[in-house]
Amino acid sequence: MTDTAVRLSGVKLKRPHFQLGPIDLEVPRGCVTAIVGPNGSGKSTTFRMILDVTKPDEGEIELLGERVEPGSSSDTALRQRIGYLQEESLSHERGFRASEKAGFVSQWYSGWDVNRYQELLRIFEIDPSMKLGKMSKGMRRKFDLAVVLAHNPELLILDEPSSGLDPLAWKQMIELLHRYMDDGDRTILLSTHIIEEVKRLADYIVFLVQGRVLGVYEKDELLSSWLGYFFSEQELAARADIRIEAMPGKQSLERMTGMVKITTDKAVEAEEWLRQHGITAAGKQALELDDILELLVDRQRLLTRHS
Amino acid sequence: MWIPVQINEQSAEPLYHQIKVQLRALIVSGQLAEGTLLPSIREFSQQVKCSVITIRRVYQDLENEGLLRTRQGTGTFVAKVGEQERDRHRLDSVVKALEEAVDAGRRVQCDEEELRRLFEQVVKERFSAEQKSHSPPE
Repeated sequence: MTDTAVRLSGVKLKRPHFQLGPIDLEVPRGCVTAIVGPNGSGKSTTFRMILDVTKPDEGEIELLGERVEPGSSSDTALRQRIGYLQEESLSHERGFRASEKAGFVSQWYSGWDVNRYQELLRIFEIDPSMKLGKMSKGMRRKFDLAVVLAHNPELLILDEPSSGLDPLAWKQMIELLHRYMDDGDRTILLSTHIIEEVKRLADYIVFLVQGRVLGVYEKDELLSSWLGYFFSEQELAARADIRIEAMPGKQSLERMTGMVKITTDKAVEAEEWLRQHGITAAGKQALELDDILELLVDRQRLLTRHS
Repeated sequence: MWIPVQINEQSAEPLYHQIKVQLRALIVSGQLAEGTLLPSIREFSQQVKCSVITIRRVYQDLENEGLLRTRQGTGTFVAKVGEQERDRHRLDSVVKALEEAVDAGRRVQCDEEELRRLFEQVVKERFSAEQKSHSPPE
């Protein structure tokens, strides 16, 4: 058993209008890893390559300890261990009833647990006799999620799982995924735009921007290492001996009326530095994930411009 | 089981350190008695809305300090806390709170003298309020 559920090494994909990678990524087993990034940054394509739906031009992919090679999508033993929720529901299924689709899918999975499936329908209040095309977007999403979970996979790959869900259904989904993880050896890899989803679910965060991994972070470490400090111009003017720009980890500096805001990604060092120099901040502010993402994207743009 | 731990997001102090200090205080003060079964790592991380990695680190650190015990397959328990240990950590969270109060004062340019006076005043007010509420009605 390795401690890595999914491993991508030097994975590259070239298309006329888009280049993905090279991507190096390790998704740890037993944890929830969230891929966060703007639209079109390559999240869904990455998932399709992991599942051998799209073939990368270069690089290697390892899934649950086995190498993904051309033709391995027919490896049914490996398929049994994975649950994949795609971004869009399949439109050719619109004419099926929910029960018909579940009956079809269940044939492929020896681990299909009919009791678990029924329980999921009950939690999500889904009527299995309904035609899939007649379901609302949220209802359809819940049904697809139930089908993906019913064979108790050890790895869940979820492409924007909450799109279309109302707040109540969203909460049910989060609780369901928490419960899924209770059995410590399971892994979730998901992509999302929803910051609150990352906060509630993720252990690790992967920032994927313009086909590149900007970084893999432990969520809590990331959130507590970024901090915004406010200083009054007056206080800074009185301390002309100190260049506040030299604060450790400085990522940005904004001037407002009478105030200077400095954002750092090394909060502990910055705190110590301020203490040593006897400077008191007028205020502090924790950063939200989207603020951090924005600053990382800016930094990346500067780097590519200079290189 | 719900553990009363409160996170200050505004603090530059790492999350795992905040949780560790508070959980340690709950144990050494006896609010979590010897033998208490703590929530699983996943469960606790959901309560605090932090990642399992952070909680795992806290449990490991406190286990190394001898305050927690993990039994394979059963879970993590509060260990027996020695007198010495108790005295050493009893005041940790109080010191922490006082430090934060002093920082708050300095942000509004309080000097040492003023802070001392404020501290005296707050202590006096709190204790006299308590005495009043405990004394029998006349």
